[in-house]
Amino acid sequence: MSFFRRKRLFTILLSLIILVGLIGFSISERNQLSSVEQFIQDGIGALQQVVLTPVTYVAGVADNIDEMKNLYQENQVLKENLSQYQQKVYEVQELTKENEELAAMLGKSESITDYEPIQASVIARNPDQWFKQVMLNKGEQHGVTKDMAVITAEGMIGKVQSTSQFTSRVLLLNGFDRSNRISVNVDLTDQTEDAKGFILGYNEEKEQLVLEFSDYYDEIPVDEVVFSSGLGGVFPKGLEIGTIEEVTTDQYGLTQVAYIKPSAALEGFNHVIIVDRTMPTIFEVEAEEGSGEE
Amino acid sequence: MMARFFPPVILLLLVAFQGINYLFIPVYLTNQGFTVVIHGVFVFLVLVTLYYDLESSYYGVLYAMIAGLMMDIVYTGVLGVYMFSYAITIYLLHSLRKLLHVNIYVTSFLMLLGLAVLELLLYRIYTWVGYQQIAFTDYINERFIYTLIVNMVVYLIFFVLFKKRLLTYSTRRFEETKFKN
Repeated sequence: MSFFRRKRLFTILLSLIILVGLIGFSISERNQLSSVEQFIQDGIGALQQVVLTPVTYVAGVADNIDEMKNLYQENQVLKENLSQYQQKVYEVQELTKENEELAAMLGKSESITDYEPIQASVIARNPDQWFKQVMLNKGEQHGVTKDMAVITAEGMIGKVQSTSQFTSRVLLLNGFDRSNRISVNVDLTDQTEDAKGFILGYNEEKEQLVLEFSDYYDEIPVDEVVFSSGLGGVFPKGLEIGTIEEVTTDQYGLTQVAYIKPSAALEGFNHVIIVDRTMPTIFEVEAEEGSGEE
Repeated sequence: MMARFFPPVILLLLVAFQGINYLFIPVYLTNQGFTVVIHGVFVFLVLVTLYYDLESSYYGVLYAMIAGLMMDIVYTGVLGVYMFSYAITIYLLHSLRKLLHVNIYVTSFLMLLGLAVLELLLYRIYTWVGYQQIAFTDYINERFIYTLIVNMVVYLIFFVLFKKRLLTYSTRRFEETKFKN
């Protein structure tokens, strides 16, 4: 067979070696993408935005027509809700004011919960769904850096995996594994202390996140909300991640494990907020090592 | 001019379109838990190999490598996977083309074969690198079959859109070079 001539075999072997080399290069821990990658990513990103504009416009018009059918009922429900919220708004205002005063008394100007929001839109999704990633239209030039949290109005959806100058790639929560844990708190209503733990990854079968507690807690109620604790040094405190669905122990029966349903939908969102923590993150601290600041 | 730049420009557009391909996937398939991947770039590459390339020219393979590398950079960040899979599959089809006379039945068969080889290659490589842990039978049931069917529909659309153009540009381009030499 002519197919197995020596030269062809040689080419195939060579390309296999190139494949292995390139994969090895790209899955090694890199802090920054090479400039060639950034250039291509930005170029295609710009093209995607041009292509996407008419598509989203048409989709938007179709959605609007759809929504108009339910307008009346929705309006009634919203009016009812609004009257209930009025009271809450007043309470919240009072509490924020009080909080600010107390913080001023203590001389604390920035807190671990504070963050600068960066608005961004989704310009592409990973086409082969082996990777749970989306592309956003904001990059380093807009202040996005690696490992920032990404949220929607409902809660956290992922973190920035890599950036180029004008785009960034986000790893969604359902693609998380042990190499990107989140330090979290669970608000226990009848105790003063929060339960602490880590999000270890995503369970594909249950479609829920896996939380491992660092201590043993007697009673962890189902439906309790899980927040980021900010102690991982990257995310701010208080980003909503999900609600507890089930509490068990791990396969050895030693640690408590909970399954968490993410609050935010991990599909079908188009606009997100990238969270830039006001307090210096662990990476910024490392970069400025020696200046003696906190 | 047009003859030379038509395939690369369309490829560039298709690479950009890969990111919003999910909009074109039938919703009732995804609702039932099936994962469908539209390989628009690959389908076009196969058409380029079969209708634009001559038997002695390897533009399809070259475009496959460049488009694959772009896909890797833009969508996954793991370089080399698409580049390798695209190039190898297109090269295989290019070799098979020499044995068979190209008509619509042969094209459809080669397209189906190419898509199957590509999908399996991608699955193998990502398993091997450790980016996915889906068992093989699950993979075949949940992804493979419907991906092939949907992509064959894409192929029919692309066939109608691009076949004639590719053929005319091919003759125009390669006759030009003949005259120059």
